[in-house]
Amino acid sequence: MAKAATSDDSAKRRRRWTALLLAPAGLWFLALLVMPLAVVVVFSLGERAPAGGYAPALSLANYLNLPARWTAFRNTLVLAPIGTLVCLLAAYPLAYFLAVRTSPRYRLLLLILVIVPFWTSFLIRTYAWMFILGGRGLPALFEWIGFGEIRLINTPLSVLIGIVYGYLPLMVFPIFVSLERLDKRLLEAAADLGSTPWRSFRQVTLPLSAPGVITGCMLVFILLMGEYLIPQLLGGGKVFFIGNALVDLFLQSRNWPYGSAVAMSLVILMLATVTLYLRLTRRYGGRDVSLL
Amino acid sequence: MDRKQFIQQLRRYQKGSISRRHFLGVTGLGTATAVLASAMPELVWPRAASAAEIGDRVSLTTWPNYHDPANFEAFTAKTGAAVEVAVFGSNEEMLAKLQAGGTGWDVFVPTNYTISTYKDLDLIQPLDLSKLPNYDAAAYETRFVEAGSIDGVTYAVSKDWGTTGYAVNTAKVTEPMTSWKQFWDLSMDKYTGRTMVHDYQLTTIGNALKYYGYSFNSIDTAELAEAEKLLLAAKPHLFAINSDYQPSMRSGDAWMTVCWTGDAKQMHRDLPEIVYVVAKEGGEIWSDFYAIPKEAPHLEAAYALIDFLLDPAVNAKEVLAHGYPTADSRTTALLPKELAEDPIMYPAAELLAPLEFGAAATLTDPNRAEIMARFKSA
Amino acid sequence: MAAAMTQQAPEPRAEAAGIDVRFRGVSKRFGAVAAVDDVSFEIPRGSFHSFLGPSGCGKTTSLRLIAGFEQPSEGEVEIAGVPMVGVPAYRRPVNMVFQHYALFPHLDVFANIAFGLKQLRPRPSAAEIGRRVGEALELVRLPGMGSRRAWELSGGQQQRVALARALINRPTVLLLDEPLAALDRKLRRDMQMELQNLQREVGITFVLVTHDQEEALSMSDTIGIMRDGRIEQFGSPSELYDAPVNRYVADFVGESNFFAGAVAAADADGATIRTAQGLEIAAPYSPRGRKLAVGSAGVIAVRPEIVALWDPAESGQALADYRFRGRVRNRIYLGDQTEFSVAVPELGEILVRAPKGSAAGAAGFAAGTEIALGWRRERALALADG
Ligand SMILES: Nc1ncnc2c1ncn2[C@@H]1O[C@H](COP(=O)(O)OP(=O)(O)OP(=O)(O)O)[C@@H](O)[C@H]1O
Ligand SMILES: [Mg+2]
Repeated sequence: MAKAATSDDSAKRRRRWTALLLAPAGLWFLALLVMPLAVVVVFSLGERAPAGGYAPALSLANYLNLPARWTAFRNTLVLAPIGTLVCLLAAYPLAYFLAVRTSPRYRLLLLILVIVPFWTSFLIRTYAWMFILGGRGLPALFEWIGFGEIRLINTPLSVLIGIVYGYLPLMVFPIFVSLERLDKRLLEAAADLGSTPWRSFRQVTLPLSAPGVITGCMLVFILLMGEYLIPQLLGGGKVFFIGNALVDLFLQSRNWPYGSAVAMSLVILMLATVTLYLRLTRRYGGRDVSLL
Repeated sequence: MDRKQFIQQLRRYQKGSISRRHFLGVTGLGTATAVLASAMPELVWPRAASAAEIGDRVSLTTWPNYHDPANFEAFTAKTGAAVEVAVFGSNEEMLAKLQAGGTGWDVFVPTNYTISTYKDLDLIQPLDLSKLPNYDAAAYETRFVEAGSIDGVTYAVSKDWGTTGYAVNTAKVTEPMTSWKQFWDLSMDKYTGRTMVHDYQLTTIGNALKYYGYSFNSIDTAELAEAEKLLLAAKPHLFAINSDYQPSMRSGDAWMTVCWTGDAKQMHRDLPEIVYVVAKEGGEIWSDFYAIPKEAPHLEAAYALIDFLLDPAVNAKEVLAHGYPTADSRTTALLPKELAEDPIMYPAAELLAPLEFGAAATLTDPNRAEIMARFKSA
Repeated sequence: MAAAMTQQAPEPRAEAAGIDVRFRGVSKRFGAVAAVDDVSFEIPRGSFHSFLGPSGCGKTTSLRLIAGFEQPSEGEVEIAGVPMVGVPAYRRPVNMVFQHYALFPHLDVFANIAFGLKQLRPRPSAAEIGRRVGEALELVRLPGMGSRRAWELSGGQQQRVALARALINRPTVLLLDEPLAALDRKLRRDMQMELQNLQREVGITFVLVTHDQEEALSMSDTIGIMRDGRIEQFGSPSELYDAPVNRYVADFVGESNFFAGAVAAADADGATIRTAQGLEIAAPYSPRGRKLAVGSAGVIAVRPEIVALWDPAESGQALADYRFRGRVRNRIYLGDQTEFSVAVPELGEILVRAPKGSAAGAAGFAAGTEIALGWRRERALALADG
């Protein structure tokens, strides 16, 4: 009896310790996630104050008005997956080359080259792309070669190029990591069993790098959903993402409640995506899958 | 090419123009301060003695290419306070920031039609004119300064004024351009893909209203609906919706753009084929002011900076740099004669006559804000 | 070409019939390192061959040369009489069990085993694949485990999956790179037996790499003893044991007491060696060893089981040519035999193994006992010391 009581006590003590250890994470969660989100939810039910801002109210009008931003949602939902896909198609060969084909001696150097652009401001780099894609950049070159007049800047294509350029490293790294961790003997085992190099790639390399691919896609996709700068600069303000709609709502129209409703719907979209991500990754036995 | 050179190139390419909207928001404060501070370290540090009076820094929230950087250096040399410059792209954005609070701004540059709203929202403070000895109300043209005073209390003092017309690259656009009607029609037809409009509800909606001959400031729902229809029809034909139009105009990507006086002056200076049109239907005439936010952390420095910039000798240098006319006759007297006849800075009287000052109602009208947002997200 | 593309064993050329793996002057260099150095050998069809040697001697490299993961720097590799120069791994009629199995972690056991079948063209039907994988699972005694994941299996089970996977395409040669190294002793024994049985059952040539001499001796028909990329001796276990070419082989195969020194006298049949202590010991040459020149470095190898032990009080063991006295330092009872380690002042530590039935085995001299020991001259071997 006495013994049972002690073990009960120690269990309680342990629980208390666990609670104490979890407290900072819990507070962090509360302060940085739950509270701002609660504010956004409350705002989204309010209405715009006469001079802009928030006035208390309890209405779903803002949500009902979401279709007014349909184009922004559509652009985001079309260009974010396409951007992610193109990123993937560009990043995979690069990551493969770095992880598999490059001798370790040069690998670090090449990896650094992938990151180097990050040492300059993203804005400056995107401005450089404005120049490259602008009339005096690539189009001038094409025209000189004889392709006729081509417009790149301020088109969905230029936004796509900017996206791929900006997010490529985010895609390269998780894939690189999963490819580098891949046991080269598995490829020998496949070859030994009669699999040609291409079939080995399909049957072994690709499935085993899937966690990296999924992680990379998730990172890029989620960030793209909130992207604002690239469409603004390379889309000439004509290619509008949800992020741009948000900036506009908060900084121009000062319609905080409607902005909050748009933000909430973006959060819900992202949650749906992350859920899908977790579903997908569970298929790989929950192993080797993480957000880096 | 190293990083510094690259940025210089980039700057040269953008010559005289930074994005009114984003460049500022993202780099503005940091970049400008860093550039200013690094340009004169010996000026910043040894001035500790005088710094005691007004502090060692003052922040100025303004518009791009709107000052002569040499003046800031001189101010720091004189007072010991470094000027931290932040650049914004629209009045709406400035208002949004001030409404959100915690800006840390000491001085900012609002446009005439916004001042009453700032006052109503209790975001700016009345100015103690005794601390602005260089401000001489009598020297200013009334119509450009009256928006700064409400019920006899001065909340803002005049910086400069200007018009909103459009710039045309005459090497590409051969028609003689005179009206907003032409501007929109040609944009949607012969010059499709070559026109830019501001990312700014006042001027973009206002000049669409002008197409139909309505008031630039209309908040009439039916008139606005017509303007929106025009905007939506024009959107696929536009090169960009962006207040940072100088780079695209200079590179030849864009051939026409809604344009402010100073930008037109700067572009015309380098590329004479770019000319400025004040449309015959009218449009906007405006004046900009210096004002002090309610919560300005460095009040003494704020007054010192405004007073310094109002000094006619200093202000004359400002005008030479930014190309906007000033309402201060003392300053104008110091400017070279040919500027007084400059048609960009001082359009003909018959063109000036129909221009309207922006109305406060446009700033807060939810309909206009929503139309602009719908236009951009369409 | 078409024949080489399939995983089935190609028809051997008439003159090569009976030989499954042939190396002719094969070298493999990695930069300055010769991992395999001018090696030639033949492994007969259907035999169980082992490569034995210390770490880094080139065993794995030899195996990889057969599998096709490496191409020789020089020389020729033939499998079933077909030259393999330039033939990639996926076209060779050999399969490999990897050192750490290299099972595909993203596939279940069934798919792992079926992998080889799915590479065949024309591809076997699903039913055929199911049937053959079932058979393979049966063969390695893992029926019903098809839906498990590799990491859900024990080491021994993983090893069997690797075996089944490698055998499913009925290769001409099965290569095994230290397949048992990761298993505990008991399991290793069991698997050794199973491997041997399996080899007899399927009749495929097995080539095993190991550095466990017992494993090699107990399982193999032939063994190649390797050293620094060369094959020191190639032969049957008994040949290696009874007729080592030199001390290295004698040392590697089984255990020996070695008495090293300079060759004091030599004739056509044997040699006498003078040890550092001035002791002269003679023995006949190993049947595969070379003749020794007077003055060269030589060694007398005395296997522990040829040493006799007796009570010094008795006068027996008159047959021993060399007799010494010593004290038992240690006695280990091994069941079927007893192992003694005896300190002999003139010779140092001597290892002795007495079978259960022998007098010494029965007497069971305890540690500390004074004893006499000796051996017959013609049962020892005079070898080159190298
Ligand atoms: N790819 C390679 N590059 C360079 N050197 C290599 C390579 N593979 C093997 N070697 C070298 O060749 C020699 C033989 O290697 P190998 O792997 O064949 O040895 P092993 O007999 O299998 O050893 P272990 O018992 O430790 O597995 C070693 O010195 C090794 O360092
Ligand atoms: Mg090895």
